[in-house]
Amino acid sequence: MTTLQTAQTAPPQAAAARTDAPRRHRSHRKAITAWLFLTPALLVLAAFTLYPMVQAAYLSLTNYNLIRAAEWVGLDNYVELFGDPAFWNAFWNTVYYAAVVTPVTIGLALVLAVFLDRQFAGRAFVRTAIFLPFIVSLGIIAIAWAFLLDPNIGLLSYWLSQVGIVSGQGVLSDPQWAMPAVMFVGVWKNVGFYMVIYLAGLQSIPEDLHEAARLDGANAWQRFRNVTLPLLSNQTLLVSVMALIASLQAFDQIYVMTHGGPFFRTETLVMLIYREGFQELRFGYGAAISWVLLIFVFLLSMIQYGYSQRRQVRY
Amino acid sequence: MHTHHSSDRRRTQRLRSVLIAGGAMAAAASLLLTGCTGAGASGGSTNDPDAKVTLEFWNGFTGPDGPALEQVVDDFNASQDRITVKANIMPWDTLYQKVLTAAAGKNGPDIVAMSASRLPQYAAEGLFQPIDDYYENPDFESDALADAAVSASMFDGENYGVPVNLATMLMYYNMDLFTAAGLDPEAPPTTWDEFAAMVPKLTVDENGDGKPEQYAIALADHETVPMYPPLLWNAGGGIVSEDGTTSELDSEGSLEALNFWVDLVKNKQASPIGLAGADADKLFQTGKAAIEIVGPWMTTGFNDAGLNFGLAPAFAGPSDQITLADVVSMAVPTSADETTKQAAYEFFAYWNSKEGQTTWAEGSGFPPTRADVSSDITGNPYPAVFGAPDVVDNSRVLLPGIAAGGTIMETIFNPALQKALNGKGTVDDIFTEASKQVQAELDK
Repeated sequence: MTTLQTAQTAPPQAAAARTDAPRRHRSHRKAITAWLFLTPALLVLAAFTLYPMVQAAYLSLTNYNLIRAAEWVGLDNYVELFGDPAFWNAFWNTVYYAAVVTPVTIGLALVLAVFLDRQFAGRAFVRTAIFLPFIVSLGIIAIAWAFLLDPNIGLLSYWLSQVGIVSGQGVLSDPQWAMPAVMFVGVWKNVGFYMVIYLAGLQSIPEDLHEAARLDGANAWQRFRNVTLPLLSNQTLLVSVMALIASLQAFDQIYVMTHGGPFFRTETLVMLIYREGFQELRFGYGAAISWVLLIFVFLLSMIQYGYSQRRQVRY
Repeated sequence: MHTHHSSDRRRTQRLRSVLIAGGAMAAAASLLLTGCTGAGASGGSTNDPDAKVTLEFWNGFTGPDGPALEQVVDDFNASQDRITVKANIMPWDTLYQKVLTAAAGKNGPDIVAMSASRLPQYAAEGLFQPIDDYYENPDFESDALADAAVSASMFDGENYGVPVNLATMLMYYNMDLFTAAGLDPEAPPTTWDEFAAMVPKLTVDENGDGKPEQYAIALADHETVPMYPPLLWNAGGGIVSEDGTTSELDSEGSLEALNFWVDLVKNKQASPIGLAGADADKLFQTGKAAIEIVGPWMTTGFNDAGLNFGLAPAFAGPSDQITLADVVSMAVPTSADETTKQAAYEFFAYWNSKEGQTTWAEGSGFPPTRADVSSDITGNPYPAVFGAPDVVDNSRVLLPGIAAGGTIMETIFNPALQKALNGKGTVDDIFTEASKQVQAELDK
């Protein structure tokens, strides 16, 4: 999230050099006005993002436990972390989660957007139905899904058993199926939001471009591939950065549905941070994991940004 | 303090017309000063026996035992007019999550109830203060308390708690399901082998889809009152040695017990895999499990569900018949001053008085913490059942006085058990490895 916010609230361009004094003066005043408008947002950012980050960086170099005074331990936490099997387990779980959830969410959002861009009866209802999970708290959604998937009282388990699919112990405690289940809920929750972003993008594509392509003999797939998709590249960048960051921060539904289990099969980095901090009372160590995650997210976002910049298309 | 306060205010008034924002900040500052004064008044390291004290009491008795607890608190508040105890009841999970941040924020509880198995971890981190002097005061009648309940909160040679309860686990069995299976509803299994022989009759898969509709027993393997560890004790094993220094998870007895039970659950479907404690309760409560071994807090729920259940000591293993004793203790945060601590002692003494324990046992079904009130408890049959001398004498607290107790259960034992139940390796391999991890935690 941090990288996103920083990008959005980048300071306005300093007043460009002008030749005549009055205009320079005016643009200087404009810049001051802009800064004044930005001040509240920057203060909030400093208080709730920057300060905690710096504080966490400091804590990651201590053995802080919330009660005792923090003792300086240097890089001990980081050294321990890279040799900790629990960290690597959580790291690879996070990568697995993100590698599946991010592309599936984006792809599904695009398909849904293209489909729901057409005219048909009940379109508004379907759009709303798909968007709805996004505005409901993920914690509540997760509780609902945990009930649906319960092996003994779950409605979904019952339906599946009626068609011959029987899960003896329920998907959430099955080491093979627990991760796919929390992935599914993650996709289901967010796909509506990204779909709306794509819908807005689709509606901003001028119809004459499609028409021109049609006159040139392009079929539906070619029009989508060569007109629609490139013109959605801005949306795709935004959506993919947001979706990736969201999936690297997966926590809520995992906390509620599996609590990281069975035997840490669904423990992501954020779950591990929570466990080390609030259960093992090792806030210094938890802060160190947070910083590793932050750097990882930052690097990935930079790569995504650079890649998309090169591919940006305008007509 | 007072002069500063009023001079601030005067200055604020003078400037108000000029700078409203400045005034708001000064008001905030004077609020801070007031807060400071308030804290100063109750501070100090000597006991003020006349001060009015309000004690915030955090606990997790969210079940039918909650009203019983509140009754004792109300009785205590009515018995004198200096100390007011306010019970703040929340789920145990929430309590464990909040207690540390609340204590760090100096805005926390004055009395915290928690499982004696979890207490050493928090004591080791410096959250609680030792309260050995409580037990030195003869007025508090601590000699009447059950030894197991008092010693459960010992950590590093000091006592950090006073018992709320000592709850033993008994075997609940559904008599109707026994009858339906052609078994004698008056003869629950008394040994592991007897139980194993009943599993084919009590685990029922009516439609033959491979997933039973009814299980012989509900054994929870995570987020639960420990159900598997007592099985290890009864084969002569355990998780750690009695002195808390050595892992016993790879001992012959432990591995024998684990092999026996993993086989029963995994291969003979004696119990579902992956149950949390609440799932196990639900399974027994809805008649989908014939047996559950759990504490006295479930009696009300099972009776309300109309279950026809019997209670018996849990079946014996090859070498023992020990059951789990779950002790909840009350502790005082380090931040509490002497006046607060002494007021908390008054409440602890009332809680464990004859009057307090009679009310508590009658209302909750928990056995009393002192045996000398047993004859006064006539309105509720369960305290006598769960507090029967042969049950209490054969009960044991899990991992008492071990700071890493919570970590061992949550991050080593339970995950290892789930691995074994899911067939991710042999019991011997998994628990030999887990034993090394337990030893590493103990050595920290």
